[in-house]
Amino acid sequence: MSADAHALSHAELLEQENQRYHAFINLALFLSVFTGVEIVVIFLPFPSWALMGTLVTLSIVKFFCVIFWFMHLIYDAPLLTILFIAGLLLAAGTMIALLGLMQHDDVDPAILHESMAPPSRVMHDTAVV
Amino acid sequence: MSATAALAHDSSGPAEAHAAHPPTATGIETKKVLMWLFLASDCMFFGTLISTHLVYRKVYPYGSTDKGIIDILSTFDIQLTSFSTFILLMSSFLMALAVSAMHKGQIKSFRRSCIGVIIFGLIFLTGQVYEFTHFFDGHALYTFSVKTAAGEVISSTYEGPADPARAKADLAHRLLAAHPDWLSVPAAAAAEDKALAPAEQVKKHGDWIVTAFKQEKVEKKSLSMQNSVFGSTFFLMTGTHGTHVAIGVLWLVSMYLYSFTGRFEKNMHGAAIDVEIMGLYWHFVDIVWIIIFTAVYLVEYIPGYNPAP
Repeated sequence: MSADAHALSHAELLEQENQRYHAFINLALFLSVFTGVEIVVIFLPFPSWALMGTLVTLSIVKFFCVIFWFMHLIYDAPLLTILFIAGLLLAAGTMIALLGLMQHDDVDPAILHESMAPPSRVMHDTAVV
Repeated sequence: MSATAALAHDSSGPAEAHAAHPPTATGIETKKVLMWLFLASDCMFFGTLISTHLVYRKVYPYGSTDKGIIDILSTFDIQLTSFSTFILLMSSFLMALAVSAMHKGQIKSFRRSCIGVIIFGLIFLTGQVYEFTHFFDGHALYTFSVKTAAGEVISSTYEGPADPARAKADLAHRLLAAHPDWLSVPAAAAAEDKALAPAEQVKKHGDWIVTAFKQEKVEKKSLSMQNSVFGSTFFLMTGTHGTHVAIGVLWLVSMYLYSFTGRFEKNMHGAAIDVEIMGLYWHFVDIVWIIIFTAVYLVEYIPGYNPAP
C-alpha cells in the first residue's frame, strides 16, 4: 500500500512539474511582450508622468513575475518570501530615502561647486579669512 | 503515451529527485534558505548602486559637472540593450526549464536547457563588452593628410574614437601597417627616437606618418568612468551586474560538466537542489537587469528627464 501511495505521489509530482512547465512558457511570452511594450512606449508621445508610470509598473510586474514563478516563491514555503521581501524592502526603502533626500531643487549649485574645489584652495581661502 | 509517462521517458531517477530532504528546523533545505538570504543581501547591494546612480542623475542633469561633456542619448544604443534584455529574459526561462527537468530527474533535458542558458549568458556578456567598448571610444569624424614615399600628399577622412589623440595614434598604426615606407623620420630627430622600432616611433611621433590631422565632427561623445559622474556610476553598476552574470556562466559551465561525472544519478535530490540554487542566482541576475534596464536606460528617453546636451 505504501508503495502505491508513493507511486501516486510521484505521478502527482510529475504532473505538477508538467503544469509548471506550461506556466513557465506562458510567463516567458508575457515577459517578452512586456519588454516589447517598454521599448515601444518610450517613443510614443505620451506625457512624461504616464511614460514613467508605465515603465515603473511594467518593470515591477516583470520583477514579481520572475521571483514568484521562475524562482518558485509561489510554490515554496512562505518563509522564503518573507526573507527575500525583507531584503527587498530594505533596498527599496534606502532608494526612496536617498532619492527623497537628494532632490535636485534642494541642492545649491554654488555649494556643490565649493565642495568640489581642490582642498588646497579651500585651505588658502580659510587662511586669508 | 500519457504526459506522466512521457515525462518519465528521459528519467534517470525522478523518485529520488522528489525524495524527502534531511530534517531541518525550518522544514526547508538549508542551502536554499542560505541562498535566499544571500539574494536578499545582494538586493541591498544593488539597491545601493542603483540609488547612487539615480541620485547623481538628479543632482547632475547633464550627467556631469558641466554641460556638453557627455551626450547620454547619442551614446546609448537602445536596440542592442533591448536585445540583450530579451536574451537575458529568455535565459531565465531556459533556467526555469533546467530546474524543472532536474526535479523530474531528466538529466539529458537539464543539459540541453543548461547549455542554452550558457550560450545566452555569453551572448549577453558579449553585448555588454561591445557596449562598454563603444561607449568608451565614442565616435568622431576626422580629416587627415599623409605624404607617400613618392612625395605625393594625400588627404582623406577617418572615422575613429572621439578622443583625437587616440584616433591619431590608431590611424598612424593602421597607415604604418599598410604602408611602412610612408614613415618619414626627420633628420633633426633625436638619436634615441631614431633607434626605436617603427611602431614605437609612430606611437611617440604620430606626425612622422600623419602630417595633418583635424577633428571635424563628434558623432558620439566618449563615456568613461573618469570623464563624468554618469560614467562612474553607470560603469560601476552595470560592470558589477556583468560580473554577476560572468560568475553565473562559470557556475553553469561547472554544473554542466559535473552532470557527466555520474554523481547526479547517485543523489538526484541533492543534485536537483543544487541546480535549483544555481537557478535562483541566475534569476536574480535577471531581475536586477529588469530594474537596471528601466531605471538606467529607458528613463533617459522620457522627455524632460534628460535635458538636451
